Amino acid sequence: MAIPGRETMSIWFFCGVMLLCYGVIITLTGLWELSHPLAAPPALSNLHAPIWWGGSLAIAGLSYTIRFFPRKRARH
Amino acid sequence: MMTALLQAAGVPFAFRALTPILGAEMQARSLAHLDSVDILVIAIYFAIVIFIGFYLKGSSNTSEDFFMAGREMTAWIAGLSFVSANLGSLELMGWAGSAYQYGILAAHWYWIGAIPAMLFLGIVMMPFYYISKVNSVPGYLHLRFGDGARALSAVSFAFMTILMSGVNMYSMALVMKVVLGWDLNFSIWVSSITVAAYVALGGLKSAIYNEVLQFVLIWVGAALVPILGLIEVGGYANLARQISANLHRADYVHMWSTLGHFKDNPMGVQWIGIVFGLGFVISFGYWTTDFLVVQRVLAADSIRSARLAPIIGAAFKMMTPFIVILPGLLALSVLPFHLVGESVAVATHQHSYNEVLPLMLVRYCGPGLLGMGVTALIAGFMSGMAGNVSAFSTVWTYDIYGAFINKKATDKHYVAMGRWCTLIGVFISILTAYLVQHAASIMDYVQALFSFFIAPLFGTVILGMLWKRATRQGGFWGLLSGTAVSIGLWLFVQHDPTNLRFIAFSRDANPGMAENIYRAMWAWTVCVAVTVVVSYLTTPKTDKELEGLVYGVSKLPEEHDDHWWQKPIVWASAVGIVFVALNIIFW
Repeated sequence: MAIPGRETMSIWFFCGVMLLCYGVIITLTGLWELSHPLAAPPALSNLHAPIWWGGSLAIAGLSYTIRFFPRKRARH
Repeated sequence: MMTALLQAAGVPFAFRALTPILGAEMQARSLAHLDSVDILVIAIYFAIVIFIGFYLKGSSNTSEDFFMAGREMTAWIAGLSFVSANLGSLELMGWAGSAYQYGILAAHWYWIGAIPAMLFLGIVMMPFYYISKVNSVPGYLHLRFGDGARALSAVSFAFMTILMSGVNMYSMALVMKVVLGWDLNFSIWVSSITVAAYVALGGLKSAIYNEVLQFVLIWVGAALVPILGLIEVGGYANLARQISANLHRADYVHMWSTLGHFKDNPMGVQWIGIVFGLGFVISFGYWTTDFLVVQRVLAADSIRSARLAPIIGAAFKMMTPFIVILPGLLALSVLPFHLVGESVAVATHQHSYNEVLPLMLVRYCGPGLLGMGVTALIAGFMSGMAGNVSAFSTVWTYDIYGAFINKKATDKHYVAMGRWCTLIGVFISILTAYLVQHAASIMDYVQALFSFFIAPLFGTVILGMLWKRATRQGGFWGLLSGTAVSIGLWLFVQHDPTNLRFIAFSRDANPGMAENIYRAMWAWTVCVAVTVVVSYLTTPKTDKELEGLVYGVSKLPEEHDDHWWQKPIVWASAVGIVFVALNIIFW
């Protein structure tokens, strides 16, 4: 099931993909909430945690996804 | 996962008390409501987990691959997996509840109850496990003490591990019901089918990959609670002041200054029990001999990685109170209502101590973030189950089936046995989960049974590694007598709870905490004493026979580090210094 011609996927690649997905989803949710405030907002909602926390996850996830993306195998 | 440390250290006050919530099913209440974006977050996690299982199937064809992850894990992966195998949801929720109930004393189970033992494993014990090339802790006992000790530890471990997996599964279903209102059957079957799929497909490597993923998920899912909580209360110093003012007592925010006597602290414990019972016997027993965690380190790609892995794990373990203990303490300050014990919660429809972490998640997390927090809890449970099942499969195949039933099968046959074992193990876990549902007291007994073996096993292994005079007969009879003493003392206190005063030497000892701590101390002491006496009465093995197994007669492979700061001992010292500093800061 490995990508043909590429190294096996590292666990860090999976972590990166997961964080990237979650980061994007949570950031978008936070941005949506700016224009559509929640009926029952959580405590400290004025700090907009979904935006900065989600953004941080997305950046970390993206960097890990790129850094550990399965490289092409070296030809011998 | 519900850790063995939790069971051994006796956290009956934590999650096993959740069982009465069954009675609360009638209440049909739930703490949180998930949005569609939360469901998406959960679905992504399940998709990644299943994908990893299928992806790794192709690299788990030999027994070395399937049971030992090919022994190719780096120090970081082995280290995070090592600590993650212990960082389950019941642990998170149980200890957060304990922090609310007993204050910062609960952090002892993360610091003195873990760090010294983890460092000891990395620096002293790991070389012997690693160079002996054993596949399991019972495997080491086989080389050192023969088949008797191996059979005793393998059978007890396999039996208890699979029962614990069922208890874990049931607990997860129960938490999902309380927090989200999910149906028990739905949670049990979805989680068990997922775990069975990815462990049976990818073996230990799949379990380890998922544990690392879970570790990351737990941190990103739970870290926002203490961060926002500290902002809300205005920093830790303010939090400590508010707790003392709210409770009209100062002992909730001190770790050592209140341990002079059982009556001086909310936990009802005393420093001797914490230092020797928890910090030495229970902690060393769990972190250095419980195969569930040791298996992760045995999968390391070199002896250097195997030594570094527990040290890396210790560094992260030391930070865990930030996401577990701190939320419990913050709840004492910010929640507008008071939490109560399980029985009172069920009777009065209030929230219990054990619900503190979900309550704090709901307090600070809106859609998306809440889904990630809930996913972290689910991931913790599934990873715990996977850890139990993969360890069961290894011990059954190597130390019971391969050692006593079918010694000459092919490697392919053992891999097939491992896969079937995984499926059968999950099936037994499901049965156990339903059994616990109909007879809640079984959960108590299973946890008690598990705790019987940890302390004496540590006595046997440590004498085996450090004392070359220990003999085969000494090891077996020491292990057996230590276990028997543990069971005997448990029955003694079950028969009459006031008998605890004879074990802990105080009438003020807490029935939950002190009993487990002191029982472990007695079991270990008897195990060591019997091993020593029997060993002196019997013939020891020669130095040649003990080579690679015992300190003093084994030549350890030299490690060549390019720089002094790359040496494991340097990192262990750094972790040790921070550990001491933290204890002084929160004295």
